[in-house]
Amino acid sequence: MLKQLKSIIILAMIALVTLCGATSCNSSKGMSKKEYKAAVKQAEHDLNAILNDETDWTLEEQLDRINELKKIDFSKKNPEIVEMIERAEQKVTNAIAERDRIAEQKRLEEEQRLRELEEQNKPKTALTDYFTMIANAKDVTTANNFIKEALKMFESPDAVVLIRLNNYGDYDRPTTAVNYLNYLKDQKKVNVAVDNVKYNEEHKITELELIKK
Amino acid sequence: MVPVLMLALCFKVDAQVLNDLGNIEMDERELYTMTKQMGQFINRFNYEEDQYGKKLNPNDPNFRNPKKRKDVLPLLFDLDNPRTAGALRDFFVEDLIKNNQYMEFLGGNWYSEVSAKFKWKGQMVDISMILVLEKEGLGSKWVLSNVFFSEFQKYFPQGELAEREKHFLHPMSHELDFMNIYKVFNDPETVEYYASTDYMPDYLTLFFYEIKQGNLKFDHVESVKFHIFQIKNWYFEVSWFNRSGYNAGWLISNLIYLKDEEKAALLKLYQPKQ
Amino acid sequence: MKKVLFAIAFAFFALTGYQAFAQEPELSPERKQAIDSLALEKVRDLSKYVKLIGSKNTPWSEANRVIDRAEELFAPDAEIGVSSLAKTKIEYYKVRQYLERLMRLNYDRVEIDWYKIQYVSDLQRQPDGTYVGVITIFQTFKGYDAEGRLIYQDTTKKDITVYVKRKETQIGGRLIGFWDVLLGDMRVKETTKK
Repeated sequence: MLKQLKSIIILAMIALVTLCGATSCNSSKGMSKKEYKAAVKQAEHDLNAILNDETDWTLEEQLDRINELKKIDFSKKNPEIVEMIERAEQKVTNAIAERDRIAEQKRLEEEQRLRELEEQNKPKTALTDYFTMIANAKDVTTANNFIKEALKMFESPDAVVLIRLNNYGDYDRPTTAVNYLNYLKDQKKVNVAVDNVKYNEEHKITELELIKK
Repeated sequence: MVPVLMLALCFKVDAQVLNDLGNIEMDERELYTMTKQMGQFINRFNYEEDQYGKKLNPNDPNFRNPKKRKDVLPLLFDLDNPRTAGALRDFFVEDLIKNNQYMEFLGGNWYSEVSAKFKWKGQMVDISMILVLEKEGLGSKWVLSNVFFSEFQKYFPQGELAEREKHFLHPMSHELDFMNIYKVFNDPETVEYYASTDYMPDYLTLFFYEIKQGNLKFDHVESVKFHIFQIKNWYFEVSWFNRSGYNAGWLISNLIYLKDEEKAALLKLYQPKQ
Repeated sequence: MKKVLFAIAFAFFALTGYQAFAQEPELSPERKQAIDSLALEKVRDLSKYVKLIGSKNTPWSEANRVIDRAEELFAPDAEIGVSSLAKTKIEYYKVRQYLERLMRLNYDRVEIDWYKIQYVSDLQRQPDGTYVGVITIFQTFKGYDAEGRLIYQDTTKKDITVYVKRKETQIGGRLIGFWDVLLGDMRVKETTKK
């Protein structure tokens, strides 16, 4: 994304240069002394404003202005302006790059947040769907296939499964994912609700807490 | 039999309110009316569970409800036995309700009698073991308090008082270095007459001794029943009735009006060391 | 308020471990109820397993797995004592032996059903503080031959010991207090035919 932006800027610059190249605006030669003097004054003013962060222009507007100034040949009479242009250009491109980097980072973070939110909500339903599918499977083979699929959601078949009985801190003996899913197959009933799920970095369930309905 | 059916209705089945374990669709009233555990006998006796077998919370208005208890109590008797199905029973029920008498699991004064077969010197014999609940640690346990074995008892017959009075060592025997003591051992049948008047043979010790000697080997349990002395001025027995109909399971199989002062002697048989 | 106090008391017991808990005089009726239900559920689980093991439709490998699961419900030294109307002397079986015998019964088809009735005793404590209860259930068994003729049937009363013990375990840095429910000896007694 950052690279793309850079190349767009470069392309825009080339386009401008090419465009201006076809006209006479790219040189001080076509200017009168008076015009040149005014141009130097304006350039100094604008460049100082850019370098000292005293402008309301957006970074793109600043860059546009710099590119315009680059078309005027200051090198003979005012080399200090050329130097200022270089510094200002460096400053603005750096600022643009930094701003884009932060934006990109924010975007990635937001994407991550949404994904996590989705993961948190999605498996809950999917998992309870599996519970029902396993308990109501028409035969052992079908149930075993559902168990295999459901186990993919867990970090390991031995991931902890807790079954809470009430709100007094009473639990049944802790079990494992594979044992619990087989239990559903054997008992052909689901009498729990998902209460809490813990994931690892790969978004696999490491701990599942169920509550008796 | 009509009253039995009416009583059975106290335990009528309402499939709607019950958790279903199984899928047998039929009249299960017989299984409901059956007093299935001794604990259920106690809960019904006290009316501490409702007709569905659900335990009643002590602050439930139905808990120990005298009217309901009076309806349920007669069902806890063996109705085939005139002794436990007649006026004496009604008198007992009346007494229980009037004086608010209840059974208590850990209240003592109730015993389990386990009738078992043992092999004794090569032959099968019947021995009854008496067990009692004893508190220990954080809870309780059943412990052996006595045994009845005819072979043991026949060594210690009560004997005629006149005969017993003939056997003693006179109070000056000590001055003669107990030279007369050989008379104690002349006749093994009378040896215990020379012991204190308070002497009681300890059958449990004999029982353990015979087991340790290898003379007595457990084979199997034949039956179990309970002897209850907890209710003031009453003694009753509870036995298992494995039969169909609405009068089955743990039921009162014997009932005796017994003054508390008369109980003491009887209790000694169940628990000699109290 | 009562609830809050109880929660505080419980937190204390949970922190100080089983010993402290064991000294607690009585469990509240609500928690006893929860434990009763849990114990009853284990018995129900067992009855489902027994049905699966007995069924001729259960594949052999599945039946073996189910036997393992059923065996896990029991304490290691639990025994099954069986008597019938004809043979009142109790025959003793180890849990696995009993279940395997059920799997290998020589009938063409077997029907195992459970009556809806069940009875859960009060929980009593044994000297070490473990709670003990007995759950009573009733089962009918029918065995058919290849021609579909009923060749054997019985109704049995099953009295199943239930041990309930408070235990604690660390899971993900959290202390979880749980009720370890194990089935103990089971008495199987034939009742009069209905």
